Amino acid sequence: MDNNARLYFQISPASGVPIYRQIYDQVKIGIAMGKFVAGEFLPSIRDVSKSLEVNPMTVSKAYSSLEKSGIIEFVRGQGMRIPVKAEGAAPVDVHQERLTLLIKEVINSAQQLSLDEESVVQKLRAIWEDVHHA
Amino acid sequence: MRNIIHLQDVRKAYGRKVILDRVSLDVPEGMVIGLLGKNGAGKTTLLKCLLGLFKVDAGKSLVFGDDSWHLSAGVKASIGYVPQGYRPYPWLQAGWLIEYTASFYPQWNSALTAKLVKDWGLDLGARVDTFSEGELQKLLIILALGHEPKLLVFDEPVASLDPVARREFLKMILDVVSERPCTILFSTHITSDLERVADTVAVLRAGRLDLCGGIDVLKESVKRIRFHCPAGVLPVLGDEGVINSYVSGQQAILTVRDYSDARRVSLEKISGARVEVEDLNLEEIFLEMNR
Repeated sequence: MDNNARLYFQISPASGVPIYRQIYDQVKIGIAMGKFVAGEFLPSIRDVSKSLEVNPMTVSKAYSSLEKSGIIEFVRGQGMRIPVKAEGAAPVDVHQERLTLLIKEVINSAQQLSLDEESVVQKLRAIWEDVHHA
Repeated sequence: MRNIIHLQDVRKAYGRKVILDRVSLDVPEGMVIGLLGKNGAGKTTLLKCLLGLFKVDAGKSLVFGDDSWHLSAGVKASIGYVPQGYRPYPWLQAGWLIEYTASFYPQWNSALTAKLVKDWGLDLGARVDTFSEGELQKLLIILALGHEPKLLVFDEPVASLDPVARREFLKMILDVVSERPCTILFSTHITSDLERVADTVAVLRAGRLDLCGGIDVLKESVKRIRFHCPAGVLPVLGDEGVINSYVSGQQAILTVRDYSDARRVSLEKISGARVEVEDLNLEEIFLEMNR
């Protein structure tokens, strides 16, 4: 049971993105991608803290911001749940957000390799073509 | 929430060498705070002043409301402390050292110490002087936890531990904080450990507390901003809240301590440049502060 939360979240503590924000984003995106289904309960704060080895306050902060944004709901005595009416969460928006995150990652890596915008875009086009014609 | 630790304008010097210079810090109950600083920044001195092992030259240092230099027995019993490079009673067997330490305290959780000894695979029959650095560190941590203190102070707890033992140590801290109310202060220069377990970080630089705040807040407010201004020279951007800046031709990099989306928009407006914002992790923030 202890490692349960590892299946839900992938955390990199050494990232510039705060850990609570990583959990927040992953729940939001997870709902859009169908990884979390309506009515499903999220693992408890204690389980997440234990299995991801992060401070329980951090997990609690992520969950309460998710609750405040109406992305999850608190059910007394049972924990945090994906609302049954989660379908209305504008999946297109969230897909866009997911794409933005992925592209940001690419940009970061490109900058580390001192690649400029043009060569990244060219590479993207080339790979896109490849995938299409394969 | 009450403050477990209260430091106000603490000063400590050896002769003319000032080690701590007007350090003020409040640590509320339940906080896990990491004290970050280069070698020689004054971390150990700060911890020792706090615990009444050194006397402050000026300022106020209170722990559980007691003056650090005159801690009552009750307050001392509420503190667990693991110093750096301490090797107690080399001739004693580890098991006896635990028993001996336990005898000083009115309350001692033998089940807890036995569990940790087992988890960490310590040989209770071995003499202390046969222990490796890492084993010794684990033993000292166990000794500091046995009386279930409300305040734990660790001086570089993970410096001599291998990655596996370091993880175990972090797990132990998380276990402690999730099971009972406990305030933890530890010094370190390994930022990745802080990021997992601490909620707050205090950065000590040349005897002064440079920065203190929530790790999340820090990561959200300290950002590196890159300007690309192909059209010409960048206007002066001001140095309010700027930690470091680097300008070269049409490019500029600013590291700011109070980033917000609104600031980004206004920077884009006044500079007329394309602006990119980079997230920084704790290590990068620490390095920026020490440039």
